[in-house]
Amino acid sequence: MLNGISAAWARAELTVAAFLAASITVLILLNVVTRSLGAALFWLDELAIYAMAWMTFLGASAAIHYGQNVAVTIMTDVLPPTSRIIIAKLVDLIVLCFALFMLWFCWRWFSPLELARQGFDFRAFQGATFNFIYDEPTTTLGIKKVWVWSIMWIFALGATVHSLANVFRRRTDGLQTAEEIE
Amino acid sequence: MTPFIFLFKLLIAVPVALVLALTAIWYIWESGNTVLYDSFAQKMFSGLENYGLLAIPLFMLTGEMMNEGGMTRRLINAARVFVGGFRGGLAYINLLANMFMAAIIGSATTQIAVMARAMTPEMEKEGYDKGFAAAITAAGGLLAPVIPPSMMFVIFGVLAQVPISSMFLAGILPGLLLVVSFAIVITTIGFVQGFPKGTWFTRGEALSALLSCLPAILIPVAIIGGILFGIATPTESAAIASLIAFLVGWLVYAELEPAKLFSLFRRTAVNASMIIFMIAAANVFGWVIIYEALPQKLAALITSITSNPFLFLLIVNCILLLVGMLIDGIAAVILITPILLPIAMNDYSISPYQFGVMMCLNLVLGLLTPPVGIGLYIASSMSETSPGRIL
Repeated sequence: MLNGISAAWARAELTVAAFLAASITVLILLNVVTRSLGAALFWLDELAIYAMAWMTFLGASAAIHYGQNVAVTIMTDVLPPTSRIIIAKLVDLIVLCFALFMLWFCWRWFSPLELARQGFDFRAFQGATFNFIYDEPTTTLGIKKVWVWSIMWIFALGATVHSLANVFRRRTDGLQTAEEIE
Repeated sequence: MTPFIFLFKLLIAVPVALVLALTAIWYIWESGNTVLYDSFAQKMFSGLENYGLLAIPLFMLTGEMMNEGGMTRRLINAARVFVGGFRGGLAYINLLANMFMAAIIGSATTQIAVMARAMTPEMEKEGYDKGFAAAITAAGGLLAPVIPPSMMFVIFGVLAQVPISSMFLAGILPGLLLVVSFAIVITTIGFVQGFPKGTWFTRGEALSALLSCLPAILIPVAIIGGILFGIATPTESAAIASLIAFLVGWLVYAELEPAKLFSLFRRTAVNASMIIFMIAAANVFGWVIIYEALPQKLAALITSITSNPFLFLLIVNCILLLVGMLIDGIAAVILITPILLPIAMNDYSISPYQFGVMMCLNLVLGLLTPPVGIGLYIASSMSETSPGRIL
């Protein structure tokens, strides 16, 4: 069940990430074209950077599901299979810790509870917490930056789901292969 | 305590990005500065708000498109025109093709994977030792991170806050020097072992080989030319290069189907996010480095050993070689740059460009050296040779 959710969620993450990768290319190309025509669209760069950030966090979360990450395996490669499985479990637990930490950080940063307590009045919220997250604008896009930052929630939630599924999954030989993505 | 936790996590194969982030979390916890947790996620995000980083997915995309579009084969054929007839011709072709490829692909491991599949069977067919063939391909792959564009240079440029285009320019000469020295090695081995004879193309074949690779040559021209003449930023030239790669692969060579595009983008997203996420994590890890005053402490230690920049570079070279043997190149750049670069610049007044090129070159050497030697394993699995034989 958890495994199924994790797999479906990872697939969705990668699909969106792929679209974002495509949109980065298009945005930068558009930037080149408009600039050479002398009518540069100044907001393209910022949008492309945010697309990249979203792509990165979605991909990073999916990578937890697929067990695809840059890691130093020099020690674990020489271990006998049984201890390798134990260590892989330990790593899964550590990853879960990280994901839970991220959730907690997002909670602290966005402080939804405090916001509700102030009756969703952003001004009162800022006065009470000196947390200006809901007021910060983007440089050129004309939207509040909190929308862009919301990816951190998505990332933290995704990472939690994937790592939780990993912890409870029975593993035969440590990691999955890259082919599974294709 | 922090360093032990760090090493322990690194050694039990926790993903490098998470090692960085978790070490920062641990350190903040230990130091009691828990108010930093409030801005942890924000700090992580802001590590990515850098225009230069956009070049990473774009260069990866170009590499993917080029592979699918059948450009590799044509580039090898073009290399044959220039050096095919010499004794040991295929070895030089391998080297020259690697040089062309390095001007398009920015990552050594990708290049080794592509070239090992394309070159080693052919070299073996003509009577070269399989181990030698794979070894030379793997060594040629090391040109990728030195000759622009280079993923490592992009990352170094972002971390060191120097223009990426200048980093690229700084890599051209060392890259060419590497090619020359590789050629000398090949010649020397050829004298001792006696390579199979090569054959020159006939005039007609040569012309058609050159003509068919002409569109592919557009890509390195666009990348290096755009940066060299300051027409485009590295990010923009990467985007243009990927567009050319797509158009050439689709319309000219007719090997790249637009239907495949989505899976290309997906692969790009997977690979790029792996690397860029490490940079996000490195941004929070920076806290640890700054609050611990790691560079200052290390600087005090090193300056007490030597005040000679040459000796310093020599020491750093040895350290880098060791680190490169254990940790993947790009991860190592992310780990080491914030620590060593301030020392090199402030205490020994070494140019950041020189230091960057030296560091990247040194770290990629680790791709070929055991025990980790990712490049070695890739070359061996792609060419079906045992790693020991390539050594």
